[in-house]
Amino acid sequence: MKIQQMAFMLIAVTLFFALVGLFVVNVLFSGLKESAALLEEKNAILLASKLSNSPEFSCGGAFGTTKVNCVDFDKIMALKENIKEYGNSQASFWGVSGIEIIRIYPVAGGNIVCSSETYPNCNKVELLKPSSGTGVSNFIALCRKQAKSDEVYDEEGNFVAAYPYIADVCEMAKIIITYEEVK
Amino acid sequence: MKKTKRGQLQISFAWIFAIIVGAVILFLAIYTATKVIKIGDTAVSAKTGKEISVLLNPLETGFETSVVTLITMPVETRIYNQCSISGNFGRQIIKISQKSFGEWTETDLETSSQNKYIFSESIEEGKNFIIFAKPFEFPFKVSDLIYLTSRDKKFCFFQPPTRVKEELSDLNQENILVEDEECPENSIKICFSDSGSSCDVNVNEFQKSVEKRGEMMYYETDALMYAAVFSDKTTYECQVKRLMKRTNELAKLYDEKQQLLSVKQGCLPSVNLQLLAISANALTDSSNLASMTSIVNEVNVKNYITCFDKFTVYLW
Repeated sequence: MKIQQMAFMLIAVTLFFALVGLFVVNVLFSGLKESAALLEEKNAILLASKLSNSPEFSCGGAFGTTKVNCVDFDKIMALKENIKEYGNSQASFWGVSGIEIIRIYPVAGGNIVCSSETYPNCNKVELLKPSSGTGVSNFIALCRKQAKSDEVYDEEGNFVAAYPYIADVCEMAKIIITYEEVK
Repeated sequence: MKKTKRGQLQISFAWIFAIIVGAVILFLAIYTATKVIKIGDTAVSAKTGKEISVLLNPLETGFETSVVTLITMPVETRIYNQCSISGNFGRQIIKISQKSFGEWTETDLETSSQNKYIFSESIEEGKNFIIFAKPFEFPFKVSDLIYLTSRDKKFCFFQPPTRVKEELSDLNQENILVEDEECPENSIKICFSDSGSSCDVNVNEFQKSVEKRGEMMYYETDALMYAAVFSDKTTYECQVKRLMKRTNELAKLYDEKQQLLSVKQGCLPSVNLQLLAISANALTDSSNLASMTSIVNEVNVKNYITCFDKFTVYLW
């Protein structure tokens, strides 16, 4: 009888400690998940503020002096063509699941996604298209080279000649970085 | 007599049973506690590694020539700087080990990123780490190089050229000293002219080489010179290869850009970026950098395409 009592007691003690252990481990790992989620968010926020200065995006000296938060639209379109080299939304070169650029001013022709056919008359560049996740954005200047021409008319208003030239066009845009939430 | 004997047997069996089960419970409790502590340490190390990686994001330079920042750890920490050249861009791997109960924790967990280049010794140890970043241009900006050093280590640049002296003085980094007379004891002495055997690192500006622990590393641009000074040969060579992989991809990107400007705006693509891409991809070690210089200079001089016969458009 005593042995039986002791055996039950010991089983109860073991179960108690096992449950306490499980609780401790659970508390430890829930904190870890939170930390991982916070780090992912921090990474995306910092990346959104600095990505436009990275060489794949930045204007560099192509539009006069070096500018901060300036993205070269022509280079972005070239990057879009080569994006496979930079990974996909699961494992990208920048460590985030989505990178999109949306022109916000001037807005022309709705939400046209940029491709080699629609460029530059488009508003949205999907470099890495996210399937899900949380987005963090930052304002940028989106600059490109645009062929324009000065038209000359005579005194009677008749067209005389056109002089083409290349102009720097900078517009207002938003860069959106999407990161996967830790589940 | 018989009764007592049976009673004695009963008590002793109960005791033996209790002792055995008690021992098993105690063993399990201690084992679990140790495991939980170990998991906790590993988690802290992994978290710190990721934190360092995230904290390096703001080091992306805009028009700055260099940036300095300090990372302070709560406990004595070892940063393992590892590098891999697999894939299109290679990987920067960081592993962290921290002191717990007087011993270094061991972990297999690592944080890796493809867009960072950290130059340091393979193991940097300390509580405070100073990070200094500088853009590497070859001829376009390839990346910001990150130089990580422990605050406990003092680097003494002995009689450097004026441009290096000015840059390092402007940085005002507390563990970097610039001396013309004498370097303090226990500092790592970096010499720019042949100053005898007292130098730990010898920089030869003519050969564009850095000699450290009897090993030679070759560089182009000051950014790579600092990289060779602060890191060991294995790390340096691996990171240089990774940088060349990115140079190759960027060269292809700028080539694509000039093609796009040709189609969309009627410009004439004329910069030979394919040759730069090929030579960057073919680099086997830093001694090949010198052979790329002429291609890089040529591309840098002709960094423009012509539109409508008279307008020049710069590619970067």
